[in-house]
Amino acid sequence: MRSVDVVIVGASLAAAAAAKRTVDAGLETIVIERKELPRHKICSGILSPRGHRFLLENFGPLPRETLHEPTSCRGVTFHFPSMVSMPMDFFHGTTPHLHRKYSDHWAIQRSGAEVHDKTSFAGLEDKGDHVLVHARQNGEPVEYRARQVIGADGPSSLVVRAVYPDYTKQIPWFFVGQKFHEIIDCPLSPEYFHFWFHPGLGHYTWSHARDGRQIVGVGFKRGDNFAKKHAVVQQYLQDKHGVHLQPAGDDDEGCAENFGPSLINRYVFGKGNVLVTGQAAGFLNMIGEGMSCALHSGAISGEAIVEARLRNRPVQEMYRRMIASEVRRCSDQWNPLKIAFDRPHEADFPAALMELSWRDRAKVLRDMWRFVVLFKEFKWGRQIASAALQRPLLGGYSMQRWL
Amino acid sequence: MKIPPVEPGTVGPCPVAPDALQGIKRQQTNPARWNGAGWQDFVAELRASGVELAEGAAACGVYATDAGGTAYGQPHGVVLARSAGQVSLLLKAAQAHRVPVTVRGGGLTTEGESVAFGGVLLDMSGMSRVLGVDAAALTVRTEAGIYWHALAEELRRENLDYLSAPLNLTSSVGGTLGVGGIDVNSARLGCSADQAISLQVVTPTGEIVECSDSENAELFQRVIFGYGQFGVITEATLRVRPYTPLAMHYYYYSSLRTAIEDLQMLDRNDASDYSGILTIMDCAVNLLVAFDSDEREAAFRKNWESRLRGHGEFGFALCMAGHYALRPWKLGEALYLLQRKQAVFPEFRRPEYMRDGKMHDRTVVFSRAVWKHWGSRQMVIPDLATSADKFIEAVERGNAICRQYFTHYTLYCVGIKLRPEHKPHYEMSCVPPDAEGWAYGCEFEPMIEGGIYSRDHFQAFKNAIYDVGLDLGASYYRFGGMMKGYIRRVFGDALVDRHLAMKRRADPALILNRDVIF
Repeated sequence: MRSVDVVIVGASLAAAAAAKRTVDAGLETIVIERKELPRHKICSGILSPRGHRFLLENFGPLPRETLHEPTSCRGVTFHFPSMVSMPMDFFHGTTPHLHRKYSDHWAIQRSGAEVHDKTSFAGLEDKGDHVLVHARQNGEPVEYRARQVIGADGPSSLVVRAVYPDYTKQIPWFFVGQKFHEIIDCPLSPEYFHFWFHPGLGHYTWSHARDGRQIVGVGFKRGDNFAKKHAVVQQYLQDKHGVHLQPAGDDDEGCAENFGPSLINRYVFGKGNVLVTGQAAGFLNMIGEGMSCALHSGAISGEAIVEARLRNRPVQEMYRRMIASEVRRCSDQWNPLKIAFDRPHEADFPAALMELSWRDRAKVLRDMWRFVVLFKEFKWGRQIASAALQRPLLGGYSMQRWL
Repeated sequence: MKIPPVEPGTVGPCPVAPDALQGIKRQQTNPARWNGAGWQDFVAELRASGVELAEGAAACGVYATDAGGTAYGQPHGVVLARSAGQVSLLLKAAQAHRVPVTVRGGGLTTEGESVAFGGVLLDMSGMSRVLGVDAAALTVRTEAGIYWHALAEELRRENLDYLSAPLNLTSSVGGTLGVGGIDVNSARLGCSADQAISLQVVTPTGEIVECSDSENAELFQRVIFGYGQFGVITEATLRVRPYTPLAMHYYYYSSLRTAIEDLQMLDRNDASDYSGILTIMDCAVNLLVAFDSDEREAAFRKNWESRLRGHGEFGFALCMAGHYALRPWKLGEALYLLQRKQAVFPEFRRPEYMRDGKMHDRTVVFSRAVWKHWGSRQMVIPDLATSADKFIEAVERGNAICRQYFTHYTLYCVGIKLRPEHKPHYEMSCVPPDAEGWAYGCEFEPMIEGGIYSRDHFQAFKNAIYDVGLDLGASYYRFGGMMKGYIRRVFGDALVDRHLAMKRRADPALILNRDVIF
């Protein structure tokens, strides 16, 4: 059995950030990853400028291989059923369009951690002063003994299931899927990520250009039909925006998403010597950008382990106190009071709104409200209101709601 | 995946877009750990030449971080400095094997400048002897790893004192000369580095060289304020002065702007021997004025005291009582002020350091108070250094940023008298290029008070302060380490590349403190 300081589950950006912190501090760190690296990962790839700066400062300039074409994204364009469109540029310029297969691999390599790929996490036992991690490597069982474990294995986290078996039943699950189309004619600007606030299209509808093709993506409550939903969106784009696309290629992809915890401050940060971070913990910025908060929360999980050792304090206590800043950043993006009176996002929505005529502003607000009503069934209203009020009163969001 | 190597010091290419992260250089500021190539051969050579090197977690773990507490790194091995000859052997072997060497004095850097990300950590605290005091010429020759307070102790035996040093007991002479150093008398005597007369330096290629303004002047100019790029300071000859106790005066202001205007007025008119601003809150600002002699104090009382707009302690207490009586919802703030006053003020009047109303051993009094009431496990102190005319704006903007990030914080402002003949020393340093006569520095220090914050929270705060510096064309008292990305932004590529070319000539393998500036 290999005995190390830290085992990180998953070879994501959050894992790379966590590994960077623990390796820098001289802790022996192993990253275990189910697939062979470099591995494919479904993602829009549009990283926020804050995430880009983190990558640059911690891992260095991005190699060309880590980027799709177009290599950058200028901002986000919101589209509404009333056919009003609002382009918004990111603060501080354009931002990378990451090729997750290679960017994640690059970051993991740059972290300096030892990587065991083709190694599936199979369970863990927290023994108080160490954790036994069970895994399978090339079909053979392997075990690691670690002082701490970080779960950075994405929304359907096996680490979360190992620590909180019932958690997955407590939150609503969504499916996001994307199909890739050769372009006949596409008036949508390839410089922007396009998002539709349209209740008829689904909970999460987007499109952007990648490597000469157009992505059409849909997100909806799990259980619905991907092909049908996608067909509706494709037809809508053709009818309303003049987007003519070839039939989708056969490389469509999809995954389950845990959208919601950052909205209602219901994060899951682990238990005992097991920390959960990134999207596994529930971090997701508005418009589904999860990479920047994954990077920052991942780094904080690594810092918490280092600090806990130096101060001889329980690692969970350190992590929860340190992660509060990232919770504020992420949950602020969903906080209606922050959206109305502050600028929590990395693009200026209020300024873009003010550029519209009074009539269009009214249409946008009406359409947004109709879109929000789509989420009524999840009964989040009271929780969102409570979180929004906590922010000015407590200066942050209540830790009591975190698992 | 093939990761293209980035030559140290250079700005890497950016395939994303020219307008991505506008203005931010494509530099990795949180260094990657050195990969250890050739380490065993290097160790064998070092040991063969008789240099003791400690390896292992116990030896290296002590140096995991610096006073800033946000950068973590582990050297492969540690050498405790014993002599210039030993340092020379180390640097020659490191140059041959391309092993990075990070030099550490008191470890009081705040951005990881004295943290080793692999390679060797050279701990200078092993060279801490005073070699000779010349009471007639008012000079001292000392090894550079000595802490200022230990030097002060030695000098007191001869009834002497150093000119100026940081208000910190464990900052080393060599480290301070390498970055600048400020004291509450810097508005009169200049920064600490200006008191160096000559230095013994071990260059990055291992030569032991004596340098001063008249001997190897170019090396002297680069090593002073050089952030350890051009050599390791092993010995220093410093100016000293007769020891004097201090007559202290405190004036209290409710406005930062007024206090700074008065501070600058005193400095311009050479009205005091010591001056500085220390805040409890931005509405409770303390202007500290002190004197070495009764004559200077009397002249101040006669000519300048009446022009100060601050109050005495009692008058200010009355003002504050009135202020908070009209604003009962700010009771918490008032209680904080009261509690700080009760805790901090007696520290500056401790009977063991006061005789005949004068303060003795100011190093100890100030350092003790700073560590006890301002310092914490992490010293998060971003700062701005500007010319006199930009200083008020810099402080006010920095103060607004502090308010956004922390409930309580303190500001420490002092003037720094510049020496025109030292202008070459000041190039690419904490002295802003546009400063004439005086530069002014302000440290923005949050009161962490046992709080636990993420590094990102601190970094976002520091970046916001540093961005003010960019905006104003200022400099920073501490620059380097993780904030080195700001160096190119504030000084421009041409100047930084010129210094990089000098660095390459002096240090061909770029081994010495290579993660600090470039």
